[in-house]
Amino acid sequence: MARRTRTGYRDVFSTCHPAINFFYFASVMLCGMFFLHPVFLGISLVGSVAYAILLKGERTARFYLWGLVPSILLMALVNPLFNHQGVTILLYVNNNPLTWESIAYGLAAAVMLFSVASWFSCYGVVMTSDKFLYLFGRVIPALSLVLSMALRFVPRFQAQARVISNGQKCVGRDASNGNLVQKLRNGMTILSILVTWALENAIETADSMRARGFGLKGRTSFSLYRFDSRDRCVLLVLLGLVAVVLLGAATGENDILYFPRIVVKPLSWWSAVVYLAYGALCLLPLILEGLEAYKWHRLRCKA
Amino acid sequence: MEQEQTLARRARRRRTLLTALLVLLVMPGTILFGVYCLDDRKYYFISLLLILYTMVPFLLVFERRRPQARELMILAVMSALAVASRVAFFMLPQFKPITAIVILTGIALGPQAGFLTGAVSGFLSNFFFGQGPWTPWQMFSFGILGFLFGLLFYGRRRPTTARGQRLWLVLVSLLGFVGVMVVYGPLMNLSAVMMMTPQVTWSMFWASVVVAIPMDLVHAGSTALFLLLLTRPILEKLERVQIKYGLLETPPTSR
Repeated sequence: MARRTRTGYRDVFSTCHPAINFFYFASVMLCGMFFLHPVFLGISLVGSVAYAILLKGERTARFYLWGLVPSILLMALVNPLFNHQGVTILLYVNNNPLTWESIAYGLAAAVMLFSVASWFSCYGVVMTSDKFLYLFGRVIPALSLVLSMALRFVPRFQAQARVISNGQKCVGRDASNGNLVQKLRNGMTILSILVTWALENAIETADSMRARGFGLKGRTSFSLYRFDSRDRCVLLVLLGLVAVVLLGAATGENDILYFPRIVVKPLSWWSAVVYLAYGALCLLPLILEGLEAYKWHRLRCKA
Repeated sequence: MEQEQTLARRARRRRTLLTALLVLLVMPGTILFGVYCLDDRKYYFISLLLILYTMVPFLLVFERRRPQARELMILAVMSALAVASRVAFFMLPQFKPITAIVILTGIALGPQAGFLTGAVSGFLSNFFFGQGPWTPWQMFSFGILGFLFGLLFYGRRRPTTARGQRLWLVLVSLLGFVGVMVVYGPLMNLSAVMMMTPQVTWSMFWASVVVAIPMDLVHAGSTALFLLLLTRPILEKLERVQIKYGLLETPPTSR
């Protein structure tokens, strides 16, 4: 939630209003979770991975390439071990049928899990803590504060643990000193010091928050966002695309039956429209980025 | 003072009403919607909705109470400790202190705080371990463990003799073991089965339970071990903070 891009560059979609960011991620994640139709799965996977690479650079791309393909294949192979439904039997293993349907379903489930995880990693970069607090600070003030404070505390505790451990090292009581029992005991001491420090520090933080008027009426947010005309345009497009996709879902374009036999609706002009809308939805951040680059290019040509 | 009490009573009645509404109308409604409108095939969607409903009353109660800044910070610290502990042991699968810390929060600060700490740390730690459709299930499973231990132990008198305290410690660890095996494990297995297949059968569920036994045993064992190690120091520290800063109206029953 609190991580920013390393370079400090923010892509176009990240600069949109937080409400749009949140609505976008909520819709692509929910769609990604529940549409198990292969076309929809493919679109969601491509969109999420491409956006993750745009946000996090080429190291992520390499990670995806080496992590994605093997883990999806592994899940596709594991599912048939437990699942023997389906009518297209490929072969028998220990008297258990290995069916094409169960392999296909394993593949689909793996792609679904991966694309949702990938959407979440994009969410973590785009929806920073201040955006989250700006949106939910009024609706669920206490909970959103706990969420963002706890996320901030994790790296802080890790840093403090290093400080304490260095201090203990000077008196020969670090977790790396002594035999196994002593190491464990020293580790527990460090943990104990850390917990005491964390609790006391939390009380101090809370008191200083109270002193600055936490919980009073009329507080403002750290970051201010304006819902400008570009945001209105993006929101309209977003709503239109989501409406088409939901209509498609209502008419069963995304329906797929895996067992006992794979059944999909045949391709029609309406299903093509729904696929296009879903594709535009999943690629929206990239499209915005492209439009911006094009605009910039045009301006430079004119000048 | 009297006015405050009537206000509090009215708020409590409204919360009870909301919970009753959720349990009696919205939940069966969702299940029926799944059976009739979605042809009873979207188990995962419906179960996810049900899981989210169960979390709503906790969150509403928490928000309505207008918690103090100090209370919020303590919860944030406990969640962050739970998350950091899960991250610190990342190389040992399932061998994590996170469940123990959630359970201890429930014991020291009550069922509600236990549930919130569990749900928050489940959500946040998945930013490090990977979010996915399993997140709400994990949030609920951690949360309900914290809630149950809060119900069992919060505000109860603790033994004062050395022998009694040792027995109490063993009891907490044993219950932690049982809790992970009986509550956390089956819930997560159910979610895994629902993610893997569109048609859930009992035999599949039992198969997943059997397959998951080694992993659940490691998780439960590590929870019991961490409870043995951490219960005394962490409870002492939490109670010390509570007494020192007067966080609770009624101080913890025993020292």
